[in-house]
Amino acid sequence: MPALLILVLITALAGCSGSHSILDPAGPAARDVAWLWWAMLIGFGLVFLVVVALWLAAFRPRDRAERSPGQPDTYDVERRQGLRWILGGGILLPGVTILVLLAFGVPAGQRLMPLPLPGGETPRVIEVTGHQWWWEVRYPDGAGEVVTANHLVMPAGEPVDFHVTGADVIHAFWVPRLGGKIDMIPGRINRIRLQADRPGVFGAQCAEYCGVQHAHMQLHLEAVPPEDFGAWLAARRDAEPESPALDDQHASARDSFTANCASCHRVAGLSEGEIGPDLSDIGARATLGAGTLAMEEGAIARWLAEHQHLKPGNRMPAHDHLALEDLEALGAWLETLRP
Amino acid sequence: MSESMRTTPEVERLHSELSAVWGNPRGWRGVFSVVNHSTLGLRFMATGLVFFLLGGVLAMLIRTQLALPDQDFMPPEIYAQVTTMHGTVMMFLFAIPMLEGLAIYLIPKMIGARDLVCPRLTAFGYWCYLFGGIILFASLLLEMAPDSGWFMYTPLSSSEFAPGPGSDFWLLGITFVEISALSAGVELTVSILRTRAPGMALHRMPLFAWYILAMSLMIVVGFPPLILGSVLLELERAAGMPFFTVAGGGDPILWQHLFWLFGHPEVYIIFLPAAGIVSTLVPVFAGRPIIGYGWVVSAIVITGFISFGLWVHHMFTVGIPQLAQAFFSAASMLVAVPTAIQVFVWLATLWLGRPRMSLPMLWITGFLVIFVCGGLTGVMLALVPFNWQVHDTHFVVAHMHYVLVGGMFFPLLAGAYYWLPLVTGRMPSERLGRLGFWLTFLGFNLTFLIMHWTGLLGMPRRIYTYDSAMGWDLYNLISSIGGFMMAAGIAAVLVDLVVHGRYGRRAPHNPWGADTLEWSLAMPPPNYNFASLPRVESRHPLWENPTLGDEIARGEHARPGAAHGRRELLGSEALTGRVREVIHLPGNSLLPLFAALCLAVVCVGLLMRIYPLSLVGLAGAGVLLLRWSWENGGHSRAAPLGHNDPEDPPLHSRTADGPGRWTMGVALLADGAFFLALLFGWFYLWTVSPQWQMPDQSPLSLPLLLASGAALTLGTLWLERRVAALRRGHEAGLTLVLSAIAALGGLHVALLVAALLAAGLEPTATAHDATLLVGLAYLLVHGGLAAILIALQACRAGLGLVGARLPFEPGVVALLWRYQLGVFWILSAAIALLPRLTGAGS
Amino acid sequence: MTALGRWLAPSHPAQLLLGLTIWSLWFVALYGGLSVACELAPPAPRQGALTGINTWLAVLTLATLALLAWLAWRGLCAGRETVGSARFIALVGAGLHLFSAAGVAFVGLPLVVLTPCL
Repeated sequence: MPALLILVLITALAGCSGSHSILDPAGPAARDVAWLWWAMLIGFGLVFLVVVALWLAAFRPRDRAERSPGQPDTYDVERRQGLRWILGGGILLPGVTILVLLAFGVPAGQRLMPLPLPGGETPRVIEVTGHQWWWEVRYPDGAGEVVTANHLVMPAGEPVDFHVTGADVIHAFWVPRLGGKIDMIPGRINRIRLQADRPGVFGAQCAEYCGVQHAHMQLHLEAVPPEDFGAWLAARRDAEPESPALDDQHASARDSFTANCASCHRVAGLSEGEIGPDLSDIGARATLGAGTLAMEEGAIARWLAEHQHLKPGNRMPAHDHLALEDLEALGAWLETLRP
Repeated sequence: MSESMRTTPEVERLHSELSAVWGNPRGWRGVFSVVNHSTLGLRFMATGLVFFLLGGVLAMLIRTQLALPDQDFMPPEIYAQVTTMHGTVMMFLFAIPMLEGLAIYLIPKMIGARDLVCPRLTAFGYWCYLFGGIILFASLLLEMAPDSGWFMYTPLSSSEFAPGPGSDFWLLGITFVEISALSAGVELTVSILRTRAPGMALHRMPLFAWYILAMSLMIVVGFPPLILGSVLLELERAAGMPFFTVAGGGDPILWQHLFWLFGHPEVYIIFLPAAGIVSTLVPVFAGRPIIGYGWVVSAIVITGFISFGLWVHHMFTVGIPQLAQAFFSAASMLVAVPTAIQVFVWLATLWLGRPRMSLPMLWITGFLVIFVCGGLTGVMLALVPFNWQVHDTHFVVAHMHYVLVGGMFFPLLAGAYYWLPLVTGRMPSERLGRLGFWLTFLGFNLTFLIMHWTGLLGMPRRIYTYDSAMGWDLYNLISSIGGFMMAAGIAAVLVDLVVHGRYGRRAPHNPWGADTLEWSLAMPPPNYNFASLPRVESRHPLWENPTLGDEIARGEHARPGAAHGRRELLGSEALTGRVREVIHLPGNSLLPLFAALCLAVVCVGLLMRIYPLSLVGLAGAGVLLLRWSWENGGHSRAAPLGHNDPEDPPLHSRTADGPGRWTMGVALLADGAFFLALLFGWFYLWTVSPQWQMPDQSPLSLPLLLASGAALTLGTLWLERRVAALRRGHEAGLTLVLSAIAALGGLHVALLVAALLAAGLEPTATAHDATLLVGLAYLLVHGGLAAILIALQACRAGLGLVGARLPFEPGVVALLWRYQLGVFWILSAAIALLPRLTGAGS
Repeated sequence: MTALGRWLAPSHPAQLLLGLTIWSLWFVALYGGLSVACELAPPAPRQGALTGINTWLAVLTLATLALLAWLAWRGLCAGRETVGSARFIALVGAGLHLFSAAGVAFVGLPLVVLTPCL
């Protein structure tokens, strides 16, 4: 057991990093929790070792007068000794521990509350809705709402309030390197405030079991410098809408989209489907199928052909009735959808 | 007990007399009609073992799937069923029934009784467990198992997102198994309080009995909320009542509250009996009385209570205000105190004694190491900010297995090794036993210690696959290897247990030098346990008097033999253990089996959506249970009035306060917990549900409700007066009066039905109407039952089965009337009056 | 002595349940009161912890604390004067009342710090 503990500690020091690692914090909320973890690990590790050592030490060979176990009341000295054990280990030890823990834990929790900011300004709001099994991301903005899916861009270095809800079942929004999770519940809006210290890419994952493809409900989250964020948002807000009138190499793919995909998917200017993810900027996203495939050339076509194999049970019907060339053409066109 | 003690003809006659009265019937009839607690306790444990092995196979499937990234071992929909069933089977079909079985087997032997106080209920509980378990597990073989995770969160488990019968299997099977747990909870409570050996005052009771008492009361209070939740969810799925659907005014979070209101106490329901094993074994192997008996009792009571105040710590991420979370966080941390008290009591006992590291003690040591670790991660999880990060990750999976496997499985095996000589008369093998222990212990830690780390690296629970880029490969592989190592360890233990029963060395009398009464019995003990009932004036009867077993077997203590042909044991006062009455118990019966079969028909009918079949089953179960209650008291199959009635103490059916009254009281406690959960659901939906719709004017007619309540109030007051008069010996006109009271009960029900019909509820349209319907149905069922039972009492009075010499039964039914009176007025105020007063809806 | 009086006597076994029952009722009142108050009249977040809700809940907490402390004291005194099971019940009951009091104080602590309805 101690050997195992040491093994863990060694691997710990070696392997804290990772796109979803709680112990590789990139924001104030996650950093508080990581510190809490290390402090508790050391403190509780000590308690653990002492208790186990006391237990094992009780079995060491000792000289003690043989006696009949029957008469408990004749051992006043032992009873007083026993009382000391109970008061010290049973009352004082846990009592002090939980007092200290509460004293650190409550303020740490308070720092994560969406309290009004000191300056009086309100943080930026990003709305995230969980679907089986993808993420809808909305940027409500005075100048017009921007919608995207499975790919979230946020400004680094400033707090962002996420307003989350679930469209079908309960999901949970969780960016491990930035901070704790919050459930996405149908009929309610939950709020969580997160901040990324520096620009970077962070993994995010649905944390509440939401059905067979819970595993493939990942969100690619990117923190960018605030000025880049403005530009990113503006590019999407002001993007040329796709127009079916354009006569180019993708005309037939666009027709095929209108015929086969438009009732579920939205592409700005072309279709208003709301059942599946908005595809207006799909070419600019990092992954497909909420983290199932990395985006690269030809990936969309592959996804269209094999998605029920790659992510079995997902809500998009199989496209077996479409020829492979059609899917490839569709994929090629969709890849061009980037603002 | 040595064989030589049986040689005198007198002793021989004593034992053959007892065997004739207490024996299990032979042949097939015997298999089905046994009510003996030893036989049924062993059956509970054997069945639990089978389910444990099945659940273990599921665990190995999970670990195989997760051993490598991007595995194709199982498709995701099968993985979902396997994980759901692993949790469900281990919790509901293994852990709880196993511990109940242990308690059912041991408790009467420890407190000096010949059987539990409601033997037929033991049998009924077993059959419910067996049938419920088979129904639930059958779903996996039919590949339509529940797949929404073992806590069945709505809306994932609702008909929209789980259209197959999987959720129905879960809801019905689990409710069936819970009926079994409640039966055991009720009768263990009453047995411990009312059938202890003469002189065994509350403060001399073995600690194990304290733990089981707490466990039983927690089952009684903790299970009903989940039963209510299951009923509501099944009503939503089968009949479309939107309790958990936002659009209809319901709220999916209500399910979470009801589930965890049960689910958190459940963890302690599992832990407490296991800790009871530890508190029993530690003093024996330390060779001295436990230090701080009173402290342990306090710790048990504290744990029992506080565990009901923690449920929200499973819900820290649902968006409850932080201040409220802080209350639950602090309450969760408080549990550390009673747990620490127990750990240090054990430590002190070992330090001040002369401990031996025998095989059972080795398992206890394994328990301590694992459980302390799990307890400490539990305190971490109680801290809200930390919980937000690791909630629903493999860290929680690891914590939960540390607490449950460490807190339940290890002590259970310690107990198994400790008590097996009692059951089989043979000693286990030290060598194979130790090998099994080390494989299990190391395999367990390899699996789950590393899993904390996997969770900290961000691996969520219940994912069926993961990408190699996540960096979780190595840790998952180690966990899987550990899992298989642990499986090998458990296999070794099983081989050891089976082999020892056949080839083990004959166990000497009281092989561990224990202090509690069960070791005064023959090994294996006879059906009637005690040939004569000893007086117990100490916490350690066998340390005070090592020859007690021989004296008991020679019939030197109270009420030896069974010349009267009745199954008898002594009823004692709950606090002091002073003898109050002689309790006569019913004998073997097929009624429990048939009643459980009828309930199985109800389940199957609901599963196959053949609702008339369910109604037939329900009616059958009702009739059988009433027949069951008929064969009591002065009935010719129980203890008819006659000349061999003992005078001092009297038979319980000749007194006003037998154990049946206590059973009714404890059952009503469970019923009350159900009612409170219903009341909570009403107020919760009313205040919190996001789209709650309430009509401007309550649809319930106040005049009809008031009239119905008046009939009930009148009937209850009259019944109370009549019961008091009966106790004073006035039996004139009893039949007539009881009939009139039954008529008042009928009037109460009829007016309630009129109120229901007049309300014109649309239960499929809004959660408001659906809740009203459930509330009124609850009152109707209880009102109807109260009326029927008192009508039967009138019949019994007419037949001379109730009267001045048999005054017991009307007092039992009066408790139900009193209860109905209370819930009727409370519920009427809550659903009909309060909405009018607050002007809600308008 | 009336039935109720017997149940409330320091040596009645009900004392083993009384203290934690009071704790539970207080806990339900605390959680329920907070939830209902936040539903009906949530104070502005910038008020911090100094709100009417926190104050009223704190008053409730202190009153419960006082009651439990008194019950613990009563049990302790009674335990010194009796023997046998009555003494056991009174002393264990006193300990449980004391723990309940500590539990009320501990669980009530966040009232001092946290804003109520966020």
